[in-house]
Amino acid sequence: MEIFEYIANVFADVSNPKKRIFFGYLLLTILIALVWLVAVRRSSFKRALGQVFDRKILFSPSARADYKIFVINRVFTMFISPLLLSQLAIATALYYALHDIDFLQRGVFSDTPKGVIVALFTVTIFIVDDFTKYLLHRWMHRWPLLWAIHKTHHSAETLTPITVYRTHPLEGLLYGMRGAVAQGTVMATFLFFFGNAVDLYTVLGVNVMSFVFHVTGSNLRHSHISIRYWPWLEHILISPAQHQVHHSIARQHHDKNFGVAFAVWDWLFGSLYLSERDTDLKFGLPPSEAHSSRLLDIYLRPFSDMARVVRRRYHRIFRPKPVQASSDKTPVTR
Amino acid sequence: MLKPKLKLTSALVVAAFVGGTAFADQAYGPFPVTVKGYEGDKTNSVSYSGQIARHVLHDSLKKAAAKGDGGNNAAEVEALMLAYFNGSEEDLAIIAPVSKDGFPVKQSTVNEISKGKNISGKFYKGAMTAWPGNQSGVDVALQMIKLAAASEQGYDPVNGMDWGQLISKFTLGAMAYNQAVDNYLDEKLDADNKPNDQPYSEGAHYTGKEHSWDEAFGYFGAAAHSVSLSPEQNYAVSKQKDLAAADANGDGVIDLKTEFVFGPAYYAAGADKGGNKNTQYMTTIFNAFRDGRALIASANGEALTDEQRAQLKNYADIIETNWEKTLAEATFKYAGSVYKDIDKIKSGEDTDKALRNYAKHWGELKGFSMALQSGKNNLGAAAIDMNWLIGFGPAMPDGKMVSDIDADGNFVRGREMTLDDYQVNMLKVQKLLIDTFGIESRANDATADLAALAEKLGENASAEND
Ligand SMILES: [Zn+2]
Ligand SMILES: [Zn+2]
Repeated sequence: MEIFEYIANVFADVSNPKKRIFFGYLLLTILIALVWLVAVRRSSFKRALGQVFDRKILFSPSARADYKIFVINRVFTMFISPLLLSQLAIATALYYALHDIDFLQRGVFSDTPKGVIVALFTVTIFIVDDFTKYLLHRWMHRWPLLWAIHKTHHSAETLTPITVYRTHPLEGLLYGMRGAVAQGTVMATFLFFFGNAVDLYTVLGVNVMSFVFHVTGSNLRHSHISIRYWPWLEHILISPAQHQVHHSIARQHHDKNFGVAFAVWDWLFGSLYLSERDTDLKFGLPPSEAHSSRLLDIYLRPFSDMARVVRRRYHRIFRPKPVQASSDKTPVTR
Repeated sequence: MLKPKLKLTSALVVAAFVGGTAFADQAYGPFPVTVKGYEGDKTNSVSYSGQIARHVLHDSLKKAAAKGDGGNNAAEVEALMLAYFNGSEEDLAIIAPVSKDGFPVKQSTVNEISKGKNISGKFYKGAMTAWPGNQSGVDVALQMIKLAAASEQGYDPVNGMDWGQLISKFTLGAMAYNQAVDNYLDEKLDADNKPNDQPYSEGAHYTGKEHSWDEAFGYFGAAAHSVSLSPEQNYAVSKQKDLAAADANGDGVIDLKTEFVFGPAYYAAGADKGGNKNTQYMTTIFNAFRDGRALIASANGEALTDEQRAQLKNYADIIETNWEKTLAEATFKYAGSVYKDIDKIKSGEDTDKALRNYAKHWGELKGFSMALQSGKNNLGAAAIDMNWLIGFGPAMPDGKMVSDIDADGNFVRGREMTLDDYQVNMLKVQKLLIDTFGIESRANDATADLAALAEKLGENASAEND
């Protein structure tokens, strides 16, 4: 690949409205942050600017590691994406299978007005996508083997919009498979029952609901601007401050607010935590868990951690009585 | 050193460009007489009337298949069909294509085109496992003719057979495609087979290679000027709906020998015209034929060099690959039609008509799938899968389909297959055709909506997370 092509590819997300770091969304994010700081926090415009473009945050060792990971992961994605089963493959297989179930009648709802079908599909695919992200995220915190991978994201000590790319390639793989299954299932089911009127309402080619999520400051989730919502709204939508709580090192914040767009899932499954006024959150992990900026540690430690988890499991199964209680410490997960 | 080299390469590029465009849109012929020692008065060495006669025999045979009255005239209809299939001492009337209002056809009997031609002698004789009874290709055709003659207007409502469609589509492969790719564009390109420094036959005004190539072109069935027509026009010419496009010499009548578009070319244009509109089968195949013919003419009656024959082989490969794809595209399209027909049957409206259309489309699907298996390539596992998925007959509303045929030509309906399951089979046939042949036009793609949605949703591979 030509070097220019490669560079263009690395930064393609900035010009892709399907991505959170699309430059339009980033500009709006800055605008929202400034307005909020000035209007709600009563800060001077100059101070607000200083807070949004805080060099200590944007160029912290952790943030600089984020930028490197952003570029490195791009290479991994290029190798991984062809291996992923596409949502089309899953949708096609499911579409075949649905034909084989006798009591299901294809096109039963095809008389539904087109506008209703499209709206229903647009909403359903967004909700299913969001819910499956919640579930997988919850499992990533719950199961030691997955936590070893997800730690990478939580090792960030400062949060910037690029922190969204701070993930282990294996996590990218898992989320890619999740997306394929979730979207493939919804696509096949809708086309089977509603017929060929199924379509997506989009703005700039993006699901209109994702678009709304992004233009209302999705990038602030990974920032130090802790915009809070009213408590009732924080039961429905995750505010930037709530996701920052998810990254907090404080014990009471562990395993809370797994949601992406909707807080309903956290509310429903007991992991909701409302944001609090004027609390200074500290982000990151203890050194025993992960390093915030050493790239080798970030990429390789998950493997040794996973190996340790597997080894421990193995011992637990084949040696009924542990020799010492201390050797069986459960990992600190969040 | 760099400069002269540069000049040479740019000269080559220019030459290639000029050479390429010089022929673009140019018809197939006339090409000069190059055969050494020819003393007659012919000036055009292009000749493929024998193939046109066979196309006409085929079109007429298809029409004749619908002449049965349910058994009373079976012997008579079979004799008529066999006359077109085996050829006849008598001059046979052309049943199709015939003159119609606004589209006068010059010839009305087969001998006006070429004498002594038949289909059977040029029919695929290898094993045809797509049809029950372990028969050779030509025996399958003979059996179909017998069954067609005994049926009512070529339709068997119990087993879901449309004989005209089955015979016709199978013949497009078993005669035209097979002869072109497995004979004329294959062994006849060898150095010692029909050499270019000798007349094709004693006294002929064309060389061995010239005529072999022309015959392959004749089987393709394009009009000599098809390349200057759009896919829509070629299609309309074949449907006898566009006199202006067909009448290349402007004499007001259509000369079937040069101005008409027959089966294989019609389906090439059809694939280009429909579906995703991202194919150029007609132009690609036509240009390969014409450029190959120009190459032979440029040898000026000398034996072809190894290099020239290699180039010719290259054109032959282009023709074969694309021709095979047009057959795969047609199979794909009718698998999609069959899928839709089952929806109509299940809806319960006008069942007789829905079943009739279903049988027609199934006949085209089956016929084309058999055509695909009549070429030079053994399709191996793909053929086995395709034959199993399509079966020996369409799934009928009673949940059964043809599983075998006995020695007397009676179908056995022993395979269980619900209409729902058969729809899934059609989806799998389409997928198999995409995977095996890489076809692009994909008319009637039954899962196109899924692909379009997937495209819209975008890929899931990402390195982002919360
Ligand atoms: Zn997390
Ligand atoms: Zn996060």
